[in-house]
Amino acid sequence: MLLEMKNIDKAFNGVPVLKDVQLEVERGEVHALLGENGAGKSTLMNVLTGVHPLDAGTVTFDGKNLAHTSIKGSEDAGIAFVHQELNLFNDMTVWENIFLNKEIVNRFGRCDKRGMIAKCRELFERLDVSIDPEEMVEDLKTSEKQLLEISKALFFEAKLLILDEPTTALNNDEIDHLFQIIENLKKTGTSFIFISHKMPEIFRISDRYTVLRNGEYIASGNIADITPEEITNLLVGNTMSFKDIYETRKTGDVILKLTDYTGPGFENINLEVKRGQIVGLTGLQGAGSSELMQCMFGVTRATHGTLEANGIHVQPHSTHRAMKAGIAMLASNRKENSVIPDMSLLENMYLAEHTLSAGKFAINKKEEQQKYENYRKMLNIKAQDSSDSILSLSGGNQQKVFLARWLNTNADILLLDNPTQGIDVGAKAEIYKLILKMAGEGRTILINTLEIPELQKIADYCAVFYEGKIVKILEHSELDDQTVMYYSTNAAGIA
Amino acid sequence: MVKKNSFGKFVSQYSFILVFIAIFAVYAITSHGLTLNGVMNILRHSAVIGIIGIGMGMVCITGEIDLSVGSMLALNSGFAVIIYNITGSIFVTLLFCLGFGAVCGAVNGVLVGYVKMPAFIVTLATMLIYRSFAQYFCQVFPKELCGGGSSVYRMINSLDSYQTFYGFGNGKVAKVPIVGIVLILVVVLFTYITTSTKFGKKVYAIGSNEKGAAMNGINVNLMKTVVFIITGALVGAAAFLWIAMNASSDPATTGKSNEMYAIASAVLGGISMSGGRGKCLGILFGAMSYTVIDKIIVALKMDSLINDAIKGIILLVVILIQLAGPKIKERFSK
Repeated sequence: MLLEMKNIDKAFNGVPVLKDVQLEVERGEVHALLGENGAGKSTLMNVLTGVHPLDAGTVTFDGKNLAHTSIKGSEDAGIAFVHQELNLFNDMTVWENIFLNKEIVNRFGRCDKRGMIAKCRELFERLDVSIDPEEMVEDLKTSEKQLLEISKALFFEAKLLILDEPTTALNNDEIDHLFQIIENLKKTGTSFIFISHKMPEIFRISDRYTVLRNGEYIASGNIADITPEEITNLLVGNTMSFKDIYETRKTGDVILKLTDYTGPGFENINLEVKRGQIVGLTGLQGAGSSELMQCMFGVTRATHGTLEANGIHVQPHSTHRAMKAGIAMLASNRKENSVIPDMSLLENMYLAEHTLSAGKFAINKKEEQQKYENYRKMLNIKAQDSSDSILSLSGGNQQKVFLARWLNTNADILLLDNPTQGIDVGAKAEIYKLILKMAGEGRTILINTLEIPELQKIADYCAVFYEGKIVKILEHSELDDQTVMYYSTNAAGIA
Repeated sequence: MVKKNSFGKFVSQYSFILVFIAIFAVYAITSHGLTLNGVMNILRHSAVIGIIGIGMGMVCITGEIDLSVGSMLALNSGFAVIIYNITGSIFVTLLFCLGFGAVCGAVNGVLVGYVKMPAFIVTLATMLIYRSFAQYFCQVFPKELCGGGSSVYRMINSLDSYQTFYGFGNGKVAKVPIVGIVLILVVVLFTYITTSTKFGKKVYAIGSNEKGAAMNGINVNLMKTVVFIITGALVGAAAFLWIAMNASSDPATTGKSNEMYAIASAVLGGISMSGGRGKCLGILFGAMSYTVIDKIIVALKMDSLINDAIKGIILLVVILIQLAGPKIKERFSK
């Protein structure tokens, strides 16, 4: 046994995120660590690598106790974390990246450049990686950067590599190459913890698995003894779903039409949405549903196909034109895309509408205040004064202000990208009710979310994305955790 | 309690007024008897830098910077003298100042807004270019157009409108200098634009969260360009005042270091250099504070070479108080 983690507990600010979790990794195996977003995978790995101290439990690695280690301590013990977002320095060469802070120096502190490059080359040859050590990292392809990260870990004799969704940015050939390297290293006794949401890859490369759900250990075993369907069931569990607030609505004519719509991160999307419909888009992170929304709103440029809204052919790559065609988008990542931190609630609310009515130069403060009051009552925004800073509100109330921002533009097509991100349960329920109410009033809503219970509550139908394409349209009655998970991990692709 | 709170809010929002009052108090003590004239002179001597400062403030609110304003003032005022000498018309000269300033600003604006070069680099380059043009063309243009001077643009004083023009720059209405009135009008206009118009709110939004602003449908590229153009036009207005007050423009010294004084005035007036925050009124008080410092040094008969050191120290102290103030308050409230 190389790694043994037992009875791990970890809480953040009193909220438990890991409860009595265990994980065992053998020498020379690829161990798949599985779980939905928020199941506790990252926290567990951060505990293992010393990023977060653990509250209780034991960690034994290679015969040594690693329970209260530091980042450096875990590195020295032979654990290497290859992160999803690569931690490389683009402005440095390949060898400089590998030897950063571990340079080979002579007595006077002068770097032995030639020696380091030679060692680099030797390693790359052994791994069958064709990267020039003297190349700048920014000139490397993403797949090469991924391999560089892995090589870097191996250079300092890592015994256990944690690969966090390593294939997200790779194409099929590159994945083959990566898996070949993993296979070879496995034979020499190196172990891997493989974090991925893609069933075909999990089944291809892993030997064993451990499933986490809601911070709890669920199961582990041999991959050979289990099917993709069974894993999906383990991942989602038998969650109770509250479907009670959903009701069917009368829908109108087709108001939104995508034809062969292609852009960065998604391709050949064909979709027709009727007035008053609520359409769910879902898929794993990076599967293309969020990217589609951004492109529809003119944030990125569509390369092919057309977008028609309200009978208007929307020109690509202009947020303003999309707004004029009656489209609004409540973007994900509220802090980055929605919050104007130096502005008040009122200013945050009216900003978007003012870009449409810029011809009227002056602001009618009384009128804006009246509108704000209306939305405050309608959306039940809990705020004291419209001149308060937007930062003084909780996430849920902030989100309601931004919902007001877009309702204020009179858009009839609302794109909601992960609208309940970082919002507490009560506020979530309120937002679902609002979405249903708005649809009832004739607004058309597209909602992108990774949370399946959310779709069950509101979506008329749901488009499931996998690697940039819609792989399945599910009707409301077909929406349940297992089915959505089944298609979004493309388990159908291997079954 | 409520009263104390609102007073605290007032102090933190309008601290630039307190700074001005403090500096003005020092002036009142050192100058041995304030005269109305002396006080009014503060407005007069703040006019050019104040108007430039308003432009700089707008640029800073979007999160950018404009280092070229001083050189732009030299070039604009120099060429404006030539236009005046040719046409003899005050009105044409004014139009030229505003138009040419806008063009100079547009060069900065397009390079920053659309080409997406860093504003620091772009305006550093145009700072060199505009100053060099101002000095070079002074030698190249026919002597009679430059007013006969050797290396100075000089207005021809035999023109019919000369007295009117010079009178505008140096005259007073009810003991208030006309250029001071112009400054106050500009401040009022831009206070209105920044606080009560849709355009103004967009300027703040861009500086506060550029990506968020774009997600609100704001055309960030266009807005940045327009702000630089407005700054250019304001520098043009300042150039018009400059030649009205001095009847000449020395391309080597006019506007020298004005970009630094403008930035300092804006910062002293509470404009955030990272964008999104600040008031136009603050810039007026920032500029006037610096003018008063000049006067204190004259009153104390100190060497004028110490001038910039004192201005620099006051800037550091004020910002230090602004940064440390909330932390000290936090410690005491515990």
